Amino acid sequence: MKDPLAPFEPSTRDPFDLAKVGHLLRRAGFSASLRTRRELAAAGLDAAMRWVLPARDRADPAADLLQEAIAFGDVGRVRAFRVWSALQGEEPLRDRLSYFWHGHFATSNRKVADARAMALQMATFDRCGSGSFDELAQAMCRDPALLRWLDNDVNTKAQPNENFARELFELFLLGRGNYTEADVRQAARCFTGWHVRDGQFQFHAHLHDAGDKQLFSASGALDGGQVVELAVARRESAEFLAAKWLRFFVQPEPEPASIDALAGVYERAGRNVGATIETLLRSRLFFAASSQRSKVKSPADFVIGTVRSLGARAAPTELASTMAALGETWLEPPSVEGWHGERAWLSPASWLLRSNFVADLLAHRRGKLRPAPHSLFDGLEKPAERARAAALLLLDGVVGAGALAALADVARAHEGDDPAAAAAVLHAAASLPEYQLS
Amino acid sequence: MNPIDRRCFLRAASAVPFVLGARGHGAWLPKGDARALLVLELVGGNDGLNTVIPADDAAYGKRRPTLSAVRSGARPLGDGTSLHAALVRLHGLVQGGDAAVVHGVGYPGPDRSHFRSREIWHTADPAHTRVRAQTTGWLGRTADELAATIAGVPAAAIGGLEVPLLLKSARVTVPSIARIEDFQWLSATADGALPASSPTRAVPGCAAGGAARDDLRAFVADTARSAVELAGDLDTALQRYRPQAEYPASELGRDLQLGSRLLVAGFGTRLLHVAVPGFDTHARQLPTHAGLLAQLDAAFDAFVQDLRAHGRARDVAVLVHSEFGRRTAENASQGTDHGAAAPAFVCLGGVAGGPHGEVPDLQHLDDGDLVATADFRRVFGDLLRWLGVEPARVLGAPFATLGLFPAVERR
Repeated sequence: MKDPLAPFEPSTRDPFDLAKVGHLLRRAGFSASLRTRRELAAAGLDAAMRWVLPARDRADPAADLLQEAIAFGDVGRVRAFRVWSALQGEEPLRDRLSYFWHGHFATSNRKVADARAMALQMATFDRCGSGSFDELAQAMCRDPALLRWLDNDVNTKAQPNENFARELFELFLLGRGNYTEADVRQAARCFTGWHVRDGQFQFHAHLHDAGDKQLFSASGALDGGQVVELAVARRESAEFLAAKWLRFFVQPEPEPASIDALAGVYERAGRNVGATIETLLRSRLFFAASSQRSKVKSPADFVIGTVRSLGARAAPTELASTMAALGETWLEPPSVEGWHGERAWLSPASWLLRSNFVADLLAHRRGKLRPAPHSLFDGLEKPAERARAAALLLLDGVVGAGALAALADVARAHEGDDPAAAAAVLHAAASLPEYQLS
Repeated sequence: MNPIDRRCFLRAASAVPFVLGARGHGAWLPKGDARALLVLELVGGNDGLNTVIPADDAAYGKRRPTLSAVRSGARPLGDGTSLHAALVRLHGLVQGGDAAVVHGVGYPGPDRSHFRSREIWHTADPAHTRVRAQTTGWLGRTADELAATIAGVPAAAIGGLEVPLLLKSARVTVPSIARIEDFQWLSATADGALPASSPTRAVPGCAAGGAARDDLRAFVADTARSAVELAGDLDTALQRYRPQAEYPASELGRDLQLGSRLLVAGFGTRLLHVAVPGFDTHARQLPTHAGLLAQLDAAFDAFVQDLRAHGRARDVAVLVHSEFGRRTAENASQGTDHGAAAPAFVCLGGVAGGPHGEVPDLQHLDDGDLVATADFRRVFGDLLRWLGVEPARVLGAPFATLGLFPAVERR
């Protein structure tokens, strides 16, 4: 491939079809109903991109709910609010990017123990997640939850604590191997006195080491803000972020050439995240067959995506607890490295929980959960037609003959009982290997 | 993914279905060996000094002016220490030679943070600084060592939603199980499991086009097939278990019964973790602590009776520990703050019952805390040898035995 990030140009041989819409909506959002996907397939690539991209200058209709979550001081409410937002799907890419940043600057309330600080961190992702990375990184270095999570509130001139500086380089800005132990020690000194007081960032000058430091090629009385400036300007930072975006949005094992190309896009865009991701999402690489269904769905992808695809109504708190049972508790990542994802999500036990979640939805066993696709088989009598309808709804119709035949067998077993047939065939379609993949 | 991770995944992915494929009745049972370890973790920092009480030591009464009231009714162990009165059935177990009390268990450089100290216990690494992607727990590493010989559910976390660090493994996917029913494969058209005759059962192994197109799809299809087989065996497995003891209605009772069920049902389970919260007794500790120990005693007794009735008490061992003990001096709120070394219990499995090791000296404290007399890895080491795993493979180095399992030492 000449330029892997060259824009994908739809053609009659390789059209922007339902499979590509489904792919875009899964990766840049949390999927959508078949009706929306069909409309976007008909409207074309530009319309679909407009649908996922963040709407600028729009008042956030969820701000009140967020305030409520903060007022209650209950992290469960903040978590339910995040799920609710993804479920609404008003801002697909914004929510997706915030999900990415939550996994990147992975902060757990289990140590922070402050729902308000966690909610504000999420709000920062929503607000700054698709803008300048420099600004986001600067904001995160002043984020009360992150500073507390990584012990920077005890980082003082007398007793420097390197935890924050080390993770800043290793996990947030540069990646392992792109800095030295000496860099970590120097950076830790730069962040001394960057503390949290009454839930707010506060600079304590008397605890700050104002002496000369040497970091990379710079020296002087550097402070934390300059550490970020120096680090984000390095090519290693661009490549580190590019690789992570490729793994998150495109495929789990990106080629070096793709990483190099995306790092270049990011640098040329003045390190603007939104512009970089838009180029990525429009690329040939993104829509390549090898990118589709190349990632294991996270619990959030599976749970929220299934509810949205089925057009079901769901209580966010229940969905959040299903996600937790599947190993993904938002606002409580297992460590500062976030969730490990991909194949680690799937085991026999979690596969059963996933499949049973779909069965519960379809069988009305989820209290407030109400499946809507009862009309799925209207006018469809033949088992093969019913199999195709279910495959279309959940898998954009991309299934082979063997799978379709197996689904038709399920349809045949429930002939004469349409609601049961719809539930059974959809459950079976969600049990195909492809359905675990994004 | 780096090549090592990939290889691990492939091993994990291919090992399970291979064994499952050859299944017949009882194929879930481990090959030739049924020894299993359950780790029961008292979360919050159990007050070891008021659990195994140095009742004869005058220094104890001085440091615990109000909390030493637990001496009345405490049951002597014969070495100058006594068990808290609420642990009446555990005391019987010790006296009967089926439970060992290991005094003064801890690690060098004790950390008073719950968070950090639990991580140290879970990783078995006192130098542990923070959790990373490759960080594994000592029980998870044990699962890796045993992986080649087990199918089914080799290791499980019971009760919670999250798999604790202790069970994080490089090769084995460890589930967290709250209810055994989660292993059923449910129907979308009726309550209960999918009937054995349902054509849906043929779907999960059915990759698009009838054959797996690549490695990832093969992995998912294998996982799904294993899941369906697991669910298919559930009914048979459950038939094998009938509770033989009356479990208390507490969460711990429920969790331990689930543990017993997994051990007896023949899922091949050899490593289990159960956590009991609530031991962080900073204030008005006496009634709270007595209640916690009484709850522990009742649930654990039912578990022991149940295992005995199923003939599993000799090949199941239990380790009971906490992330730290508490400060030797009580605080101003009739409670205790975070401390260091504390006793651990090792029960069943043919353990050499009774007290082991040296009681920490209340005259020689470290900043007001007990100094450990037994490194926690010595306890782990004895349990690993008993499981048939070379301790250094899990702990990184050999540690002197405490002689908890003399029969193993003689082997």
